[in-house]
Amino acid sequence: MTTENVFEVEHATLRFGGVVSLNDVSLVQKRGEILAVIGPNGAGKTSLFNSLTGVYQPQEGTITFHRADGRTMSVIGKKAHRVAGAGVARTFQASRMFSALSAFDNVKIGAEDHRGFGVVGAMVRGPRTRHDDRRSDEKTAELLSFVGLAERANVLAASLSYGERRRLEIARGLATQPEVLLLDEPAAGTNPAEKLDLARLIRRVRDELGVTILLIEHDMKLVMSLAERLYVLNFGSVIAEGTPAEIRANPVVIEAYLGTSAEASA
Amino acid sequence: MIRTFFQRAPIRRLLVVLGVVAVVELITGPPGSNQYPTSGFTGSYAEPASFFGMFRTQRWLVFLALALVAWGIAEFWTRYGDTIRARGSSALAGPRQVSERRPVRVGFALALLVLGILLPHIVNDAFWQSALVTYVAIYVLLAIGLNVVVGFAGLLDLGYVAFYAIGAYTTAWVTGALPTPPPFGHALDAFWAIPFAVVFVVVAGVLLGAPTLRLRGDYLAIVTLGFGEIITIFANNLYGITGGSTGTKQIPHPVFHVGPIKYAWGLAPVPYYYLALGSVVLFLVIFSLLQRSRVGRAWTAIREDEVAAESLGINPLKFKVMAFAVGAASAGFAGVITASADNFLFPSSFTLVFSINILVLVILGGMGSISGVVVGAIIIQVVQAYLNHTPPSGYQQPDLYIYVGALLITMMIFRPAGLIPSRQRRREITLYEKSHEGHPDEVLLGDDV
Repeated sequence: MTTENVFEVEHATLRFGGVVSLNDVSLVQKRGEILAVIGPNGAGKTSLFNSLTGVYQPQEGTITFHRADGRTMSVIGKKAHRVAGAGVARTFQASRMFSALSAFDNVKIGAEDHRGFGVVGAMVRGPRTRHDDRRSDEKTAELLSFVGLAERANVLAASLSYGERRRLEIARGLATQPEVLLLDEPAAGTNPAEKLDLARLIRRVRDELGVTILLIEHDMKLVMSLAERLYVLNFGSVIAEGTPAEIRANPVVIEAYLGTSAEASA
Repeated sequence: MIRTFFQRAPIRRLLVVLGVVAVVELITGPPGSNQYPTSGFTGSYAEPASFFGMFRTQRWLVFLALALVAWGIAEFWTRYGDTIRARGSSALAGPRQVSERRPVRVGFALALLVLGILLPHIVNDAFWQSALVTYVAIYVLLAIGLNVVVGFAGLLDLGYVAFYAIGAYTTAWVTGALPTPPPFGHALDAFWAIPFAVVFVVVAGVLLGAPTLRLRGDYLAIVTLGFGEIITIFANNLYGITGGSTGTKQIPHPVFHVGPIKYAWGLAPVPYYYLALGSVVLFLVIFSLLQRSRVGRAWTAIREDEVAAESLGINPLKFKVMAFAVGAASAGFAGVITASADNFLFPSSFTLVFSINILVLVILGGMGSISGVVVGAIIIQVVQAYLNHTPPSGYQQPDLYIYVGALLITMMIFRPAGLIPSRQRRREITLYEKSHEGHPDEVLLGDDV
């Protein structure tokens, strides 16, 4: 089970006019794995996320998403909502909550099925709609207590602290019942205590819910303690891949982050 | 010292109000002449016969008084409004608390419905009875429909009149009043135009929506504006189909005839009022059920953050088209009622100004708030009917737009979320203002996708 691949990215190239955001990127994520993508600012990490979720469409290469039920989906050319519906959830770098809604409603919107019903079905509130509604409510309450926000269910998303918003976004993503959860800098703007909580939460998402995790993060301590494998991006290309220990010792990575000694002395 | 005095918020607002009032006064006043260049402000120069006579002739005094009263009310509300509101409800009431207040709201709605049913007998006046239909009920129907598009889904639609026109022309077509032969070869009754009209406007909504709703914001507004114009131009130019610019004057009154039950509408306005009231109630129920359903929540999600909504598996295009089609349905109804009550229709009645008029009702009432939109539409339309029925001296119909425009500007300064704002909308606006205070760049930045 764990050797099976979830994402296979092959030679993906994404351009915006003359700017190459992703240059011949290939990567593989195994099911149940906590994988991290690191790299300096502008290396193409968020572009990679957006390509994996159907927001951007790379001009070359293939991105394949393998579902647990054996079906596969070619992500390139699919709309973001179709990719999300297939089981890829994500959070955003600058968190994007529905700020005027309560924490509860934020998660509930994620929990609801947005396909397979019409205007009339939603309006009439027949037994099926009522049943669905109750199920979403239960799932929402469950997820809010899973991320530790049960007490804050009725608070406006905008009034939550930064760390709470991060956790709410994770709950909202999980509400869509994903197979993979993509976290774009989940620890940005949180304090050290919150970072520890967050790392624990991310590990629990994988261990207890069986959701595969793909992570972008700048905080090296967090990444190195959490990720089982890492890819390093620089200028849109993958420059290294390996376990945290391997990456730490890789001279190419050190160069990308700190510059070469020749540059430093020049 | 003086600088800081003028920079204080209430003083600044007073100056704005006075400025708006001065412009309105100047524009609505009588034209000036060489001798009296400022008569726009002062009005008639007849000597005031008495102290009270002065108020009648010196228009600027009246306007000044109005401005001060409006400013005073608004200042009072900004200062003490929060405390007053806090007594009624907690701003952060969660999903559970809201449902506890539901019986009260249903009771209130039923009381209003009874009042609505009795109303034509209370105002026992021929003009007002017909005004209830032509000025009020039809516009309420249109406003609550546009509210679905603008308020719920957050789509700026400037061509809403097109759906109203399609409803009206469908009525004419079905009853055989147009040069084109009616469906199935023989003319149907106007009452049966309702299902046709609803199907037609919903199809029109989908046809217009599917290609254009990929656009956002201003772009969508321009395209819908174009759609509204196209429908009017079609009506004007397709002479053999629509009757061209002269329209038609032969639309019969509707007759409801199913089995033994038969009712025929005639010239009297009150039966039309009940037909319109019934439609309003029907659509109020439909729209408020939708607002509370998962469709409503999906609309809210798209309105707040389309990218985030999409990441949760919501198909924005599907829900936007749905909003367009659902909102169009009530305009189709309104078109049928107007066409069959008036017996005539002209392309020139379906103009851009009409669309904007409906939009103003929605904005003044409070986008996204059903009760707000209904109250806003009633107030504006009753004032409009009153001004047309008993115009003050010197009043001309186009003046109305100046008054409404001034009201709109004042509202945007003091009460941007509308007369009875939806709680969510008010929060959105406050949050937006808070997050952009002193950081004008954030509108452009802060977008990571």
